[in-house]
Amino acid sequence: MSSALVRRRLFSNLMFGVCISCAAGIVSLLLMVLGYIVWIGFASLSWGFFTTVPTGDLSDPGGMRHAIEGTIILLMLASAVGVPIGLFLGIYLSEYDSEWYVTGPVRFVADVLAGVPSIVVGILGYELVVVPISRLTSSQVSYSGWAGAAALAFIMIPIVARTTEEMLRLVPRSYREGSLALGATKAQTIARVVMPAAFGSVTTGVVLAVARVAGETAPLLFTALGSRLLTRNPNEPFPSLTLQIYAYATGPYPEQKRLAWAGILVLVAILFVVNLAIRWAAHRHTRQRTA
Amino acid sequence: MSQTTPTPAATGDATARSGPSRAGGFGEAKRSVGDWLLGVLCRSSAGVMIAMLVSLLGVLTWSAWPAISAYGLGFLVGTEWRVNELQRPVRDDAGKIIFRDGEMVTETVPQMFGALPVMYGTAMSSLLALMIAVPLSFGAALFLVRVAPKLRIAGPVSFLVEFLAAIPSLAYGLWGLFVLAPFLQEYVGPTAERWLGGVPWLRWMFYEQVIVAGRLIERPIAMTGRDLLCGSLILAIMVLPIITSVSRDVLKGVPRSQIEGTLALGATWWQSCLGMLRYGRSGLFGAVMLGLARAAGETMAVAMVIGNNNQISASPFAPAATMASLLANEFQDPGEGLHRPSLLYVALVLLVMSLLFNVVARWFVVGKGGGVSAAH
Repeated sequence: MSSALVRRRLFSNLMFGVCISCAAGIVSLLLMVLGYIVWIGFASLSWGFFTTVPTGDLSDPGGMRHAIEGTIILLMLASAVGVPIGLFLGIYLSEYDSEWYVTGPVRFVADVLAGVPSIVVGILGYELVVVPISRLTSSQVSYSGWAGAAALAFIMIPIVARTTEEMLRLVPRSYREGSLALGATKAQTIARVVMPAAFGSVTTGVVLAVARVAGETAPLLFTALGSRLLTRNPNEPFPSLTLQIYAYATGPYPEQKRLAWAGILVLVAILFVVNLAIRWAAHRHTRQRTA
Repeated sequence: MSQTTPTPAATGDATARSGPSRAGGFGEAKRSVGDWLLGVLCRSSAGVMIAMLVSLLGVLTWSAWPAISAYGLGFLVGTEWRVNELQRPVRDDAGKIIFRDGEMVTETVPQMFGALPVMYGTAMSSLLALMIAVPLSFGAALFLVRVAPKLRIAGPVSFLVEFLAAIPSLAYGLWGLFVLAPFLQEYVGPTAERWLGGVPWLRWMFYEQVIVAGRLIERPIAMTGRDLLCGSLILAIMVLPIITSVSRDVLKGVPRSQIEGTLALGATWWQSCLGMLRYGRSGLFGAVMLGLARAAGETMAVAMVIGNNNQISASPFAPAATMASLLANEFQDPGEGLHRPSLLYVALVLLVMSLLFNVVARWFVVGKGGGVSAAH
């Protein structure tokens, strides 16, 4: 064997090792971040975290019930607007191919909007919802749950639309043709054939979009603002888990920082379960399909 | 599909008329109403999407207009960010404070806004992050495509990498603030200073030049751990999953014959990998651009660890600020005058920049039929 070949092989083996250590490095980074969150967060977690609201007492700051409820309400409000629009847009992009001169640019816009920094969306929410409402009611700056939900919906729509489109495109063309050949209209075909066939994967996409939005902080900073009160009135500044964690984490009090760790643990745990469940469901789904 | 109703009347077919559709003109009308309604809903949601983009650009431009008309494009190269008017003593050419009638002579320095420091911070932190993340990601992507399937661990590793992308940036921020920053402050910074501090041409890393009382002095940078380096490291961790998963998809798209061909010609494992990377170069470039777009727009984690100092400093150990972190810190409670319009101007610049990055990235990834979903 020539020495050049030996060198080549050695270098190849070296790079093989480098690739493996890259993957190992990324996985160990994840485990390091997650491990620390679980370790510190779990120690700070208690039942009171879910059932009590902030007390104002610095040595015993209460829990985050208000923030958890706030996030759930914000997500419901945002989904009520964002999911239908996203779904219809996804249907449009996938099923109205004949209008390619519209769907092409709209798809492009959706892709681009999905990449807009979330802080910019928050600022848009401030300028477009908070400022006008403040003018109308001639109050001070009226941060509100509505504005927060609107900002979250803004982020949700492009994601839901694009995943829905891709999932609908996976439905075989023959399904549509068969339905149309039996005399169904386009709306009937979509509602009774295409959507049911893609129901599982579309639901997956929607859940992932909601999960993604659940962890957002930046769009809420200037819209919902956050609150330490248990409120269900979206006309007021609105509490959110992420905003509360941010406020506690960057504040000076150690007890509040412990709460922030507990909060982030709860958030990450929920996201982990959701991601795992969806992966499991998708896996089972494809297995059934192929079987 | 048994639920679908056969066409009545229109065909004039008797069997169709007696079909499950409760026939007649009313059914026909209802059916076309359904089509019409779906069309209207779909097209109007497309209109909403366009309106979202237009309002984003329009509203930001409109509300930033006072700053745009005051500073123009000079805003992009202005290095001062002075929120409040400043009273300062007037100095003569020798740097001495001038007294008149025993009183210090002062001048008023007006508000001034320029975006160069934050643009510099954004560019530097993103580039540093990419320099760390890109090699790691490509290595991991090659592992996922060429090694992991044989070991039957491609699934779990892919899931972990994708979950890394699903963790909220707040979690990274918290980890960076309480784990990474103290680590950098206590170990990395001092170690770097011990090894490199004596090197004359690396002094800029550890010393800053400031004007104190009219004189230029050099002083060591305080190592707080919350600096450009920390921000870049956190950003690197955050863009790792997106670059890895997109480049994995790109590398998966390399035809098998391409790999087998190089191997048949006697290439080693690594040489065939190089062939794959070369084959997928435009898609990989798109993956890097997506990572860049994410890094440039990242807000919370960066705002928590970068130190938020709105000044240009060459050293990675000096606190810095990015456009997004500046907005997160100052927009909630802006001062008088042009402060808010200037912040909106920064937001507009950030928006346009991220639009550009995304357009370029889509061009390279999707243009080649990469089939990359928006969820990435």
